[in-house]
Amino acid sequence: MARKHKRDLTVEEQLARGPVDLPFLMLVVMLTVIGVVMVFSASYATALYDAKTAHNNPTYYFVKQAGFAVAGLVAMYVVTKINYQSFRWMSVFVLGAAYVLLLLVFTPLGFGKATVGAQRWIQIGPINFQPSEVAKIGVIMYFSARLCKRNTEKPRRINPRSYWSGPLTALQRTGFLELVPYGAILLSIAVLMMLEPHMSGTILIMLGGAAVLFAAGIKLYWFVGGAAGLAGLLLLMMSGYQSTRIKIWRDPWNDGMNGRGDGFQIIQSLLSIGSGGLLGVGLGKSRQKFDFLPEPENDFIFAVVCEELGLVGACVILFLFALLIIRGFWIAIHARDRFGALLVVGIITLLAGQVFLNIAVVTNLIPTTGISLPFFSYGGTALMIQLAEMGMVLSVSRQIPAAKQG
Amino acid sequence: MRNDKKRPQPDRKANRTILMRTLFLMVVCGVVAFIPLFIRLYSLQIVQHDELEAKALDQQTWDQAVTANRGTIYDSKGSPLAMSAEAYYIQLAPREIIERQQEYREKVEKAQAESDPEKREKLMPDYPEPTNESIAENLSAILGVEQEEILKRLAKTNSAYEVIKSQVERDVADQVRSYASENGLSEGIYVQPSSKRYYPNNSLAAQVIGWVNYENNTVSHGAYGMEAIYDEELGGKVGRVVTAKNGRGTQMLYRYEDYEDAIDGNDLHLTIDATIQYYCERVLAEGIEKFEVQDGGFAIAMDPKTGAILAWANSPTYDLNNPRTISDPVLSAKLDAIKNDSSLSDEERSKQSTELLYEQWSNKAINEPYEPGSTFKSMVLAAALEEGVVSESDTFVCTGSATVADRTIKCSKRTGHGTQTLAQAVANSCNPAFIAIGQRLGAEKFYEYVEDFGFLSQTGIDMMGEPNYSVFWSEDLFTSANGITNLATASFGQRFKVTPIQLLTAAASVVNGGHLMKPYVMESITDANGNILQHTEPTEVRQVISEQTSERCRSILEGVVKPPGTGKGAYVAGYRIGGKTGSSETEEKDHTIVSFLGFAPADDPQVIVLLAYDNPKPVAPGANTTAGGWYISGGSMAAPQAGKLLTDILDYMGVAKQYTEEEKAAMDMVVPSVLGMTQADATARLKESGLDVRVEGEGDTVTAQIPAQGVAIPGGSQVILYMGVEKPTDKVTVPNVVGMNREQAQTAMTNAGLYLKSTGLTVGSDVKAESQTITAGTQVERGTVVEVHFIQSTASGGAGTGI
Repeated sequence: MARKHKRDLTVEEQLARGPVDLPFLMLVVMLTVIGVVMVFSASYATALYDAKTAHNNPTYYFVKQAGFAVAGLVAMYVVTKINYQSFRWMSVFVLGAAYVLLLLVFTPLGFGKATVGAQRWIQIGPINFQPSEVAKIGVIMYFSARLCKRNTEKPRRINPRSYWSGPLTALQRTGFLELVPYGAILLSIAVLMMLEPHMSGTILIMLGGAAVLFAAGIKLYWFVGGAAGLAGLLLLMMSGYQSTRIKIWRDPWNDGMNGRGDGFQIIQSLLSIGSGGLLGVGLGKSRQKFDFLPEPENDFIFAVVCEELGLVGACVILFLFALLIIRGFWIAIHARDRFGALLVVGIITLLAGQVFLNIAVVTNLIPTTGISLPFFSYGGTALMIQLAEMGMVLSVSRQIPAAKQG
Repeated sequence: MRNDKKRPQPDRKANRTILMRTLFLMVVCGVVAFIPLFIRLYSLQIVQHDELEAKALDQQTWDQAVTANRGTIYDSKGSPLAMSAEAYYIQLAPREIIERQQEYREKVEKAQAESDPEKREKLMPDYPEPTNESIAENLSAILGVEQEEILKRLAKTNSAYEVIKSQVERDVADQVRSYASENGLSEGIYVQPSSKRYYPNNSLAAQVIGWVNYENNTVSHGAYGMEAIYDEELGGKVGRVVTAKNGRGTQMLYRYEDYEDAIDGNDLHLTIDATIQYYCERVLAEGIEKFEVQDGGFAIAMDPKTGAILAWANSPTYDLNNPRTISDPVLSAKLDAIKNDSSLSDEERSKQSTELLYEQWSNKAINEPYEPGSTFKSMVLAAALEEGVVSESDTFVCTGSATVADRTIKCSKRTGHGTQTLAQAVANSCNPAFIAIGQRLGAEKFYEYVEDFGFLSQTGIDMMGEPNYSVFWSEDLFTSANGITNLATASFGQRFKVTPIQLLTAAASVVNGGHLMKPYVMESITDANGNILQHTEPTEVRQVISEQTSERCRSILEGVVKPPGTGKGAYVAGYRIGGKTGSSETEEKDHTIVSFLGFAPADDPQVIVLLAYDNPKPVAPGANTTAGGWYISGGSMAAPQAGKLLTDILDYMGVAKQYTEEEKAAMDMVVPSVLGMTQADATARLKESGLDVRVEGEGDTVTAQIPAQGVAIPGGSQVILYMGVEKPTDKVTVPNVVGMNREQAQTAMTNAGLYLKSTGLTVGSDVKAESQTITAGTQVERGTVVEVHFIQSTASGGAGTGI
């Protein structure tokens, strides 16, 4: 396709060719590079000891992750080229695909039950990934696309003669009717995900959806109510298995096996972080990754970061994340339209939530739940999807109107 | 645009809502959320850094001890008293044994999958399945460890370090090793090197040498005695290999961290002489059996000039190789009694058995203060002579008791010793005389000397268990209202307590020229190449009395051992033994400690000993003899034993004998051959040997002699020379001399044509024959020598009289 000359472009097309937000792009690239380097360091020992998949090759995970990172950056570039307005119509398909994939998990295509006790992955061809990643972005896209029109849409007319008119009008006034489709989507996805089960993914999807709803201007009391409901649900779940999780959280050493039982992973994580001190033991010199900290390249990679780079290094990385998040919201505020703003708010809030929850788990601030750290945790497709989402943010940033001169 | 005009209000409001809420999310997600994370990281990485890092390092490093060889303990002559030898410990790795069992099952499965029976046979493992039960059974058979114990250890399947037995000898270790390799368990059952302490002389000097405990099967720690006191020197420095390890416990050698060489321990040379030690223990054990001693005893030998301890024996004692087993005969009897006592609960029984263990480990000679009794009079004598308040020419009158304040104190001889010189008063161990001497000294001076002789402080000997408090009376007891009575009893060594080593050290200063020496046991410490690293030089604490006073004391104390002194039981001709007896009555009824403090030779003491027996059993309550007829007193029990001990020691040390003229006369002479000589020559030859001559016949030369050449007869005895007449060949009858005194026995023997050889108390007149070697009525050849043992004929001194 030959490139059109600028003068032949429509206004829309011209806008879509605006410059991407450079600070945001730089932060994404920096975090990706640091993340891949840390995967190398953290996975070194795991790969070295693993004969089955890594063939005792210490660079096994690193090479794979680096490949995905490059592919992810390419994907991000491609996404930035897409005029984000087309995400409006795509959202329906992405959400639809998410449903299909969430159902496919329970077919022989899915896996994970045997290894980690939860059917969270799906394998299509050579790639495997978590459908929840697709569901996250699908929900955010669809919610943004719908909610950006809420002020312009005409309110649904209710037949005053209908037997239901009274209660329906009341429900409409309170904004309940408006929420029904969103609630139905979140609930159905939550049910599907809890069947896997996938608690942390459910929390993140709820968070992403809620962020978009919140930003879109849904009345606050719904959030209060929703939060109360969730809290009640959590309390209910705290009996049984979950309650031992709380006990371990309060005192990991008291796990009935002197810290070698359920508390082992969190203890090892705390020992890693504590060993780091102010300046860390040095990049690549973590001792905890040698079979003490389980899966150091995965959810607990930040513990290795803390051990190797110390408080200073950890804070630098936290600072980069904070800058990325703030810049993300800056893009949302300056977005050309409401759809762009909501889309970015959803993506960035999701990212922030993931960062917060991961680090809170690793430092035992909250009970353990499996949430990966964006850009850092090992997982090729997750990284690619993450970078593609960043591409969407950058795509929105292209259409930010230039500041008025003078 | 129309819409904008129509509804501008809500839209702007909605935009504003979106902006505000987005800004709110920005602050929450971008700033607020990071605050708790930062605080948490700060607390973990800075506040709790040290604590967490220590825990992490603990699991990340493998700290292995490298055994250092423990040094040898030698006696003064260089023979080993304690030495280390190779030993092993058996370690199970249940985690690995499970893998071996899995491997076995896999092999069997593989073999069974094979259809060809021949190949199947080949593939089958050539050993039985290593089940936990079979491992437990086999190891139990080899090592003697309970099967249940091994099974319990094997059940710890995530452990890799379960030591089931340590201190295993090489042959047993080899058996375990071959069992493991024959059953495919070489990786799972490990035989690890360590060391074991051997005590070649078993119980010899047990309380002095002590034993060791092993920590982690590799590091030895002295638990008692010299092993404990010189643990640092003997133990050397345990080496360490600190390597990084991973979470599976595998060492990561390329991540090597630290290495420290093991430094072997140094050798310890004691002043203890194994032979003298043996003599002391023998004399102690003999006496305990003979006198039915109930609470053991002790015998210490010291070089009085240097303070070097030559021997240190205690009873009861134990086998150093099995310190937790009761081996002493007296304690074994007590243990049996406890075991058979059905009125005891199991708890009481084990408690009492433990008490017996402590009893056998107890070093009585240093940690059990006792009442020294009359042995203490040596110090009182020395102080009085030094102060010039008495002299050899003073006389003391003893009426059998003395009255001090309102108390009457009895003397051992109820009828009184009459008028006696100072030397006689000491030899008689006369209490009234010593009360008078004490009073002449005065309480103040007395106490001053007590302090100078070292009774108020530790001797500073390098031995465990010396009381760190003053066991002696405080000064107020002498200066108080009752001071005069206290001074009186203290003057003859009663009612207060001292430690045996304090007494011996003080007594040594009395006889060695007045030098109070610091006793010591460690002679030197040498490294593996024999270089002396540390050497104990004799240390003089202070000069207590002058050389002249010391010399006067020696001669007075030698008189104690000469008949009729109370210490005459210790008399042995030619050895010039000096000393002082002691019989201390204790607070307990019928409990007497009999002791003897002896030194020799009296002119230049080479050795000083303190021998004590604690509590000989009276034949009946209140009786003053034992069932064996032994009078309970230092003079009749401890003195003869000490005499025997001192002669053994002096002979061993090669100290030349010195005989007095009187002794020479009573000494045995070997009869030379005078056959073929003229009468004059023969007489001269025999006179030279101190023998008398009686001639029969009138020939020119001696044709026969009685006794024959080479027979030893007492000096002064008559040799019969036959000059041309036939020697009578008839037999003579041995007379009964038991109960006779020396003269009577001598006459009886001479009349019968026999020779008398006296043993026991060979000097003095107050003796009677206790036994004879050839029973009365036996027909023997003319001129046969009959040994007759003499003992003192009258009992004087004894329990309750302070002798």
